[in-house]
Amino acid sequence: MFKLVVQNLLRHPLRSILTVGSVCVAVFLLCLLRSIVTTMNAGLEAASATRLVAMSSISLFVDMPLSYQDKIARVEGVEDIVKWQWFGAYYQSPDNFFGQFAVDPERMRAIYPECQVEADGWERLARTRNGCIVGYQLADQFGWKVGDKIPMIGALFPHPSGSAWEFELVGVYRSTQPNFDNRTMFFRWDFFEETLKSDGQEPGVGVFVMKVGPGADVPRILSEVEALFENGPMRVKCDTESEFTRQFMSMMGDIPMFLGWIGTGVLVAILLGAVNTMLMAGREQIHDVGILKALGFTDGDSFRVLISQSLFLCTLGGAAGVGLALLTAGFFEVVLGQFFPGYHIAPSTSVMAVVVTVLIGFAAGIVPAWRAKNMRCVEALRTGV
Amino acid sequence: MSDPMIRVRDLSKRYARGGETLTVLDRLNLEMEEGRFYALMGPSGSGKTTLLNLIGGLDTPDSGSLFVAGEDLARLSGAELAHWRGASVGFVFQGFNLIPVLTAIENVMLPLTLTSLSKAQRRKNAETALRLVGLGDRLDHRPRQLSGGQEQRVAIARAIVTDPKVILADEPTGDLDRKSAEQVLDLLQRLNREFKKTILMVTHDPHAAERAQSVVHLDKGQLGRIEHNDAGAAAR
Ligand SMILES: Nc1ncnc2c1ncn2[C@@H]1O[C@H](COP(=O)(O)OP(=O)(O)O)[C@@H](O)[C@H]1O
Ligand SMILES: [Mg+2]
Repeated sequence: MFKLVVQNLLRHPLRSILTVGSVCVAVFLLCLLRSIVTTMNAGLEAASATRLVAMSSISLFVDMPLSYQDKIARVEGVEDIVKWQWFGAYYQSPDNFFGQFAVDPERMRAIYPECQVEADGWERLARTRNGCIVGYQLADQFGWKVGDKIPMIGALFPHPSGSAWEFELVGVYRSTQPNFDNRTMFFRWDFFEETLKSDGQEPGVGVFVMKVGPGADVPRILSEVEALFENGPMRVKCDTESEFTRQFMSMMGDIPMFLGWIGTGVLVAILLGAVNTMLMAGREQIHDVGILKALGFTDGDSFRVLISQSLFLCTLGGAAGVGLALLTAGFFEVVLGQFFPGYHIAPSTSVMAVVVTVLIGFAAGIVPAWRAKNMRCVEALRTGV
Repeated sequence: MSDPMIRVRDLSKRYARGGETLTVLDRLNLEMEEGRFYALMGPSGSGKTTLLNLIGGLDTPDSGSLFVAGEDLARLSGAELAHWRGASVGFVFQGFNLIPVLTAIENVMLPLTLTSLSKAQRRKNAETALRLVGLGDRLDHRPRQLSGGQEQRVAIARAIVTDPKVILADEPTGDLDRKSAEQVLDLLQRLNREFKKTILMVTHDPHAAERAQSVVHLDKGQLGRIEHNDAGAAAR
């Protein structure tokens, strides 16, 4: 019986391969799409409950005055504060996109325990005025080693000298949380500020991140910070980190829903392909079904011969698809890291892929298998070969 | 006297054909003894295939009863009928009806997958059957790589491999040349003589019918005379 199933699949090797291949690609895509969603959700869930973010109420791209830092720090319940400024420079080519931020290193270290810097990177940063730390994925991508000089060409903040900013790599970090990506560069605020000041510029701040105590009255703190700057010069919008992340992501549109539609489309397309293959196979094998029944095989056996072929093809394709997704997870972690930090394939995604595969197998095989089961032997034998 | 191997009682079969009904078999009565070789003759469209299919349990009658190899077929459910068929009847068709994607030995082993035999045992029995039909050197050929006569002999090996009591052959030589036809007829005759198989062979070739011990004539849904030709068949 097994032999018969396999040999029937080998009857049209190209057709079988194409079906396996298309199921493989579809399942791979499903895994990818779902992983993006689970990764986004993981980012939201991992967002710290004890971190608040303040930004300009106009937009994320508008700066706040530097002087706000001390005022916010004095709000009751705010234990620590760090400022971030989007640097927007590039390395070698504008195509090498990754984020760079000027931050307060000591504050950063205290507020972001998930940012684990290897060896004595934090200490070196404290000693090195133009030092920087980068995520390990970035270091891997460009082959950077600690001690390397990294020239960055300023786009938002051109260097006063007219040439590139030069940073020295002093440490590499690894994130222990999915919401903190491994492809970012951080460097010292004082270096950034003093360099610009030498040219008469006054840099502003993109966001302030506040740390509050575990039992803090978050809503009160949020409104108090906002109230501070109610009358200008720049009004401020303050949110929890997870709300901030959610809004940041929704700037890209309702991604989960969009991906859901793509996924559904992929599924339907692949189901139609598999159904077509199995209908053809079923028609070709009607005569064989008649022979089987004449030899004493039951209607149920005929059903199984056909459904097995469908399940076999789809499971093979599905397994290949999941395998491909798992194999390429590392690659996508890097490629998608900038947008979906911590990209990974959740076990539930693999399980979903397997379930979907088996369902497709059943759905594609059920009609021809049902026909084979109910076909009367004499009629099946009368059909041409 | 022992029970006949095949007993047909008041058997009728009708087909609905665009509004009117066509009575193919009309209250037929027939008995066939165990271990005899019967030929069933009649003009085209006289219902020979229909009768053979009914006896083999491939089709169900509109009325009447069928006792074949000790079973009352009307009492068997669909699955029981299938199992009975696998164990008690071997079919040989005009068009050979081998499974094209399987080799000769795989085709012959197929009905044995319904038994409790081990894989090695199945292979051994299938080889024995193929050797018996003179194809011991063609085990791994696909049907397409065989001549018509060879294909039909594979089909015969498949029909006998489960050691059924009854072999039903529907114009087994209809698509074969003279020489291949003779080989197939020799084989059927040998199965009857040496292995005491009860054989019912449909044919409209009088020459082929001479091999049988009895010739049953069917015309317009009715049985005609039955000729016994033991002496003639023995001489062949
Ligand atoms: N499934 C069917 N539906 C309608 N008519 C049928 C069917 N099977 C056979 N017949 C008709 O029944 C008659 C007997 O057919 P068959 O038993 O095949 O004859 P034979 O084998 O003697 O040539 C023929 O007229 C044939 O057309
Ligand atoms: Mg016929």
